[in-house]
Amino acid sequence: MNAHDPLVRFVNIQKSYDGETLIVKDLNLSVAKGEFLTMLGPSGSGKTTCLMMLAGFEPATHGEIYLEDQPINRVPPHKRGIGMVFQNYALFPHMTVAENLAFPLDVRGMSKSEKMQRVKRALDMVQLGEFGDRRPVQLSGGQQQRVAVARSLVFDPALVLMDEPLGALDKNLREQMQYEIKSIHENLGITVVYVTHDQSEALTLSNRIAVFDDGVIQQCAPPDMLYEEPENAFVANFIGENNRLMGTVAEDNGNTVKVNVNNGHVVEAKKVKVEGVGSPSTLSLRPERVVVAPEPASLPNIFLAKTEELIYLGDHIRTRFSVCGTDDFVVKIPNSSVHVCLSEGDEVNVGWKVEDCRALDA
Amino acid sequence: MAGLVFTDQSRLPPSPFLNNVSTMPTASANPAGPILTVDGTPLKTSLERSLKLSKLRAVGLVFPPLVFLIFLFVIPIGSLLTRSVDDSLSNKVLPRTLAAFERWDKTSEPDEAMFEALYLDMKAAEKLDLSKLGTRMNYEKSGWRSLVKITTRGLKRIEGPPYKPAMLKLNKRWGDIAFWQSLGAMKDPVTFGYYLNAVDLKYDGNKNVMRVNKHRRIYQLLWWRTLLVSTIVTIGCLILAYPVAHLLATLPLRISNLLMICVLMPFWTSLLVRIVAWMIMLQQNGVINDSLVSLGLLHDDNRLEMMYNFTGTVIVMIQILLPFMILPIYSVMKTIPPSYMKAAQNLGATPALAFLKVYLPQTIPGVGAGCILVFIVAIGYYITPELVGGKDGRLIGNLIAHHMQHSLNWGLAAAMGATLLAAILILYWVYDKLIGVDNMKMG
Amino acid sequence: MHNYLRNAFLCAAVVVGTLGTAQAEVNMVTWGGAYAVSQQKAYGDTWKGDKINWINYNGGLGEIRTQVESGAVTWDVVDVLPDQARTGCDEGLFEPLDRGMFVPAPDGTPMDQDTMRALPNDCVVPNIFWSYLAFYEEGTFKGEQPSTIADFFDVKKFPGKRGIHTWPNALIEMALLADGVPVDQIYEVMSTEKGIDRAFAKLDQIKEHAVFWSSGSKPIELVKSGETSMSLAYNGRVGAAILSQGEKLVPIWDGQVLEEQWFTLMKGAPNAEAAKKFLVHISAPQQQAGQAKWINYGPMRKSAMEIIKANEPWHNTGVNVMPHMPNRDDVLATSIFSNAAWWADYGGELKERYTAWMSQ
Repeated sequence: MNAHDPLVRFVNIQKSYDGETLIVKDLNLSVAKGEFLTMLGPSGSGKTTCLMMLAGFEPATHGEIYLEDQPINRVPPHKRGIGMVFQNYALFPHMTVAENLAFPLDVRGMSKSEKMQRVKRALDMVQLGEFGDRRPVQLSGGQQQRVAVARSLVFDPALVLMDEPLGALDKNLREQMQYEIKSIHENLGITVVYVTHDQSEALTLSNRIAVFDDGVIQQCAPPDMLYEEPENAFVANFIGENNRLMGTVAEDNGNTVKVNVNNGHVVEAKKVKVEGVGSPSTLSLRPERVVVAPEPASLPNIFLAKTEELIYLGDHIRTRFSVCGTDDFVVKIPNSSVHVCLSEGDEVNVGWKVEDCRALDA
Repeated sequence: MAGLVFTDQSRLPPSPFLNNVSTMPTASANPAGPILTVDGTPLKTSLERSLKLSKLRAVGLVFPPLVFLIFLFVIPIGSLLTRSVDDSLSNKVLPRTLAAFERWDKTSEPDEAMFEALYLDMKAAEKLDLSKLGTRMNYEKSGWRSLVKITTRGLKRIEGPPYKPAMLKLNKRWGDIAFWQSLGAMKDPVTFGYYLNAVDLKYDGNKNVMRVNKHRRIYQLLWWRTLLVSTIVTIGCLILAYPVAHLLATLPLRISNLLMICVLMPFWTSLLVRIVAWMIMLQQNGVINDSLVSLGLLHDDNRLEMMYNFTGTVIVMIQILLPFMILPIYSVMKTIPPSYMKAAQNLGATPALAFLKVYLPQTIPGVGAGCILVFIVAIGYYITPELVGGKDGRLIGNLIAHHMQHSLNWGLAAAMGATLLAAILILYWVYDKLIGVDNMKMG
Repeated sequence: MHNYLRNAFLCAAVVVGTLGTAQAEVNMVTWGGAYAVSQQKAYGDTWKGDKINWINYNGGLGEIRTQVESGAVTWDVVDVLPDQARTGCDEGLFEPLDRGMFVPAPDGTPMDQDTMRALPNDCVVPNIFWSYLAFYEEGTFKGEQPSTIADFFDVKKFPGKRGIHTWPNALIEMALLADGVPVDQIYEVMSTEKGIDRAFAKLDQIKEHAVFWSSGSKPIELVKSGETSMSLAYNGRVGAAILSQGEKLVPIWDGQVLEEQWFTLMKGAPNAEAAKKFLVHISAPQQQAGQAKWINYGPMRKSAMEIIKANEPWHNTGVNVMPHMPNRDDVLATSIFSNAAWWADYGGELKERYTAWMSQ
């Protein structure tokens, strides 16, 4: 078996609760063995519904889900053998931590010695070896979270689902837990399907991210691809910070296009997803790819910009310009020894390369 | 350029150093002598002064419920317990007679000295005390009441000693040794006789405990029946309430609100109306029997007896007490997120096992509260059993009410009430041991 | 415990009550229903004095003792059963009254000589007789109709269930009567252990067929619905059904047990003087007779019976009421006057035995 065999396949999955609107529209997705796949999207985009269908708590209205090439639509949740970490952990409050961990082993009729061994191993894995006798309420949020992860893994599932598992933690703890989850995933070689609405969490953890919006996967790609090469305006906007310039395609040169932005400037951009000459387009440009005060003619796109606002953020200065008809054009100026010093109201040239500016759908 | 400078401290990351400084107690800064506030008064005095007002306010708030509690609970319970053991009347009215009784061998015919003591006691007593005593003595032996009354009326016709023949002439029952012997049960000002009566026991003339005449044994039977009915009603309520509470807790709000109204409806309906409705349903010519007969499921001659008996009491009590079970269970179920059941199934438990191992244990506080509530209310129930109990569905509460209202034997009623209270306290203690009272959720 | 609660509420009620009733009004406590209505018509409407507040209660001495012992008496006149009248007077809950103040009979006989039963103590004021009797609905039995109390106990001859009450009063007497004990020896027999055994043996014959009732409205329902073929009932309930609702019910006067009903004055009654005047009014022969216009309970004063006899049809519906009176001459020979003194002595014990019997 090679690592690229799909473990999970969603085939033409549709889901509706009321028979009138589709929450999930014709979803096709494969998750490879050992992969960490994140379903990312705003709330109501259908990502959690997909996870619940995979776990077996929601039936698919149409289509089929395959687990190791077996259709599982008719397999009840308790027979799927999928681990899951719930949003609020769902640790059983009337059981101790050890009992919580032993629960999936109990129902599988495991011998007592093996059970104890496994519980201990799982607790040690999340550094909670001493906490077996505590009740969940006696643990901190981070500790509860670890117990929940340990419980989802203790019965050696090939696939673990995580439904916004870090949502209830504060920022510092969340970052720490991200690394722990990542290392557990790498050490155990399990497959993880992870749901979140937090893009930085998704970028940190995932092998691949499926960006959901309106019941459709907008793009499914590794984090760097998603950031560097968004395929449409939604993804470009949703992942990372992004300057948008609205305009109309004036000239199609095969790999590049020239776009008339609103105030008459013409910007040359990489052609990614435009219909052709005359169609509207959104130009997407990452703030860190903009050069402030470039050498004249060193870049194909150079425009005069007026400095509107400066925010000092330590490592960089976040600067808002008004340029090409938008006053919401953000540039991150690194706080280096040679950086340009600006004050509000200063006028300066800004420029960028053709390949850094992506012409997307409107 | 304010945008570039942080001035808002709250946005700074928490500094452990800062925290330490701000929480460091001032006490350690001044190890010698009492700590003073800025104006020189000792810190303790200052603190007490500042707390005094809030303490006063707290007392003010507690006072009305405290008075309420004393008047409605402590005093009545105290008077209940006093009544249940008080037997001072006989000592007050018959001091000489009881002294003479002590000297008597309890088997021979009473002698002149005893009659003389009795005559003198009765002569000296208030008329009202005598008639009250007659009532009291009648509890020990039927007939005392009229004997005392006849004698009181005839007392003025006795001119002088010897008293024995004169008293015997007034009523020949004075020669019946059984009356004299029964004095023994009342000779002490404090008695446990009422408690004995409450379980079909009594004192004989020598204060030995013995069982009452077999025809009169009713209290033990009623205690057991009361426990049995309360247990059946509690279990019945639990069986009916659990799924209803689950529905209430899990159905969509609009439907569950409607269901909640149905659950609470009995609270808004008069008890008597509900009982009459049950009579119409359950009696031999009632709706259920008529339906069964007309459907051919039951022969006309074998109509079910579901009213005016044990069954009727149980059925009606279950219906009346059901909300007391539903509400606590519901309020606990409401707090159990559905994710627990999902988690359990995800971990490999069948839905049934997930229910047993994960859902059920978490509802125990509500179940416990509901059971104890229903049981306690059921154990003292008397209106419903009175109306629908008929021959074998009446409970100990009915006899308490009878002794309160009709026989006026408040000593016995108080003893039964106190026993009931003790039973409830024991139950509470057992509950505390098994489940833990702090685990109870009333809603 | 229930009573203590009520006690506390009573205290509160007294405070409010005494503030509200500054002028003399008479608080008249009685049983409610058609009975209270008849009293309001016969006694209240003919009364020219102070305002009468009609208050209903469910009998028993519990409230009465609570009021007297707590010193917060709000009631004045109470309508009581024979055992209440005796126990209440013994316990000092009722006020002894001067016999001289009452209205004599038209022929000059003083009140205490004019009653059909001797006054048991100084507290009581004459009221009525009522009775426990058996009855059935016309058409229940084919051929021979039940006519004696023995028929009531004979379920072979007259099949069907029997409605009986959940306390022993009257039932013991009826059982012995049905078993052949002559009317004048009933209490003699009842005073022996054997006699009581004999009564219960007779009761055993109908136990299988018994439906037990505790509320006075129940017997009519039981018989009307066919749940029982015969039932015991208060004679007034049967009479009201016949006289006022036109029901085809047949009372069996044979073996009826007559009970006394008295008026008493609460010890420490708040409006004692006005209440005494009212008591004189309601115990006068004219008012005693007047009540029978509205309900078929028999006045306790002989002279009142004479007034009714002389003025038939007396009932407000225009029919003769005398045939429905429990204490009319022609049924007395086969009726028993309940011996309240006997019941005061043995009632407690018998109640226990009867409850045990019911439960077995």
